[in-house]
Amino acid sequence: MNTATTENPTRIFELVRASLAELFEIDPTRVTPETGLFDELNIDSIDAVDLMLKVERTLGRKIAAEEFHSVRTVGDLVQAIARMQQG
Amino acid sequence: MLARTDAYYWRCVATPLCFVIFGLNSFVLGLIVLPLLKMLPGPAPDRARRLRNTVRYAFRLFAELMHRVGVLTYEWRNLERLGRPGQIIVANHPSLIDVVFLLGFTPGASCVVKEALWHNPFVRRVVAAAGYISNRSMSDMIEQAAATLERGQSVIIFPEGTRTVPGQPLQFHRGAANIAMRAATIVTPVFIRCEPPTLSRNEPWYRIPARRVRLSLHVGPDIDPQPFRDSGPRPHTARVFNEHLIRLFTAQLANS
Repeated sequence: MNTATTENPTRIFELVRASLAELFEIDPTRVTPETGLFDELNIDSIDAVDLMLKVERTLGRKIAAEEFHSVRTVGDLVQAIARMQQG
Repeated sequence: MLARTDAYYWRCVATPLCFVIFGLNSFVLGLIVLPLLKMLPGPAPDRARRLRNTVRYAFRLFAELMHRVGVLTYEWRNLERLGRPGQIIVANHPSLIDVVFLLGFTPGASCVVKEALWHNPFVRRVVAAAGYISNRSMSDMIEQAAATLERGQSVIIFPEGTRTVPGQPLQFHRGAANIAMRAATIVTPVFIRCEPPTLSRNEPWYRIPARRVRLSLHVGPDIDPQPFRDSGPRPHTARVFNEHLIRLFTAQLANS
């Protein structure tokens, strides 16, 4: 595995948006930090596992699932990922 | 009302006795036998396998006991297909006793089990010692199941996630399909029928059926996950595969 990269929130947001497009065929123009993952994008808990796997692979580091219990929007997800990088 | 046959009054005695034996055995197994076995020397994989096999023998013995005392009869078809490396075994779940048979007759298998059993006073130590997989967290469940398959074991999953709701179309949770797309070498269905129903969702657990229970476990042909896997990103392929499983089970269970 490559050395883990630490990315800024903007870059993380772009990574998440690209993953959503690749995995779920979600139009990137629909995705903003306020977009609800579950309500608007219909991403359930099984989908979330595949999404996080994609993000982990791109960032080169494992992200603990416990961080994501309070994640509702894309913005929440980006912030949780950014926080996990500090650890 | 159906006539009471098949030694009904004997079954009224034997069935509660079986419940008691199951509870006591699980308790003793978990409290004394498995902890002792855990202390035996050997590399970790051997010790894990020893525990797993002991739990399997206990379930197998209990299945045979229920048969011998006349509480039920059972019939397997193509049992030899079960217990291969990297195999996911998917089954419908009409009754609480079907899982005893799957676990008792499948060598080297782990099982996805509902989190509540880790808190059940009779079986919690057994499920932990056997190394079964909890469904509490989707990501942990999927990772543990994938790791188990990659180690060369088989994993038993009930995609319904709970006992079948009679009279409703089959609802399969996508976890099994997702794990299959991720890590299975083969997926083998088991079509289970329990006639008359017992320990099922809509029957009080204490009701003794008028006729003796006939449990049939028919193992279907292997399904190769690779063609499904190749058809797109996993969120998509898992959905397609899940739909395929639902259609397969609905068709098979409709033929009586």
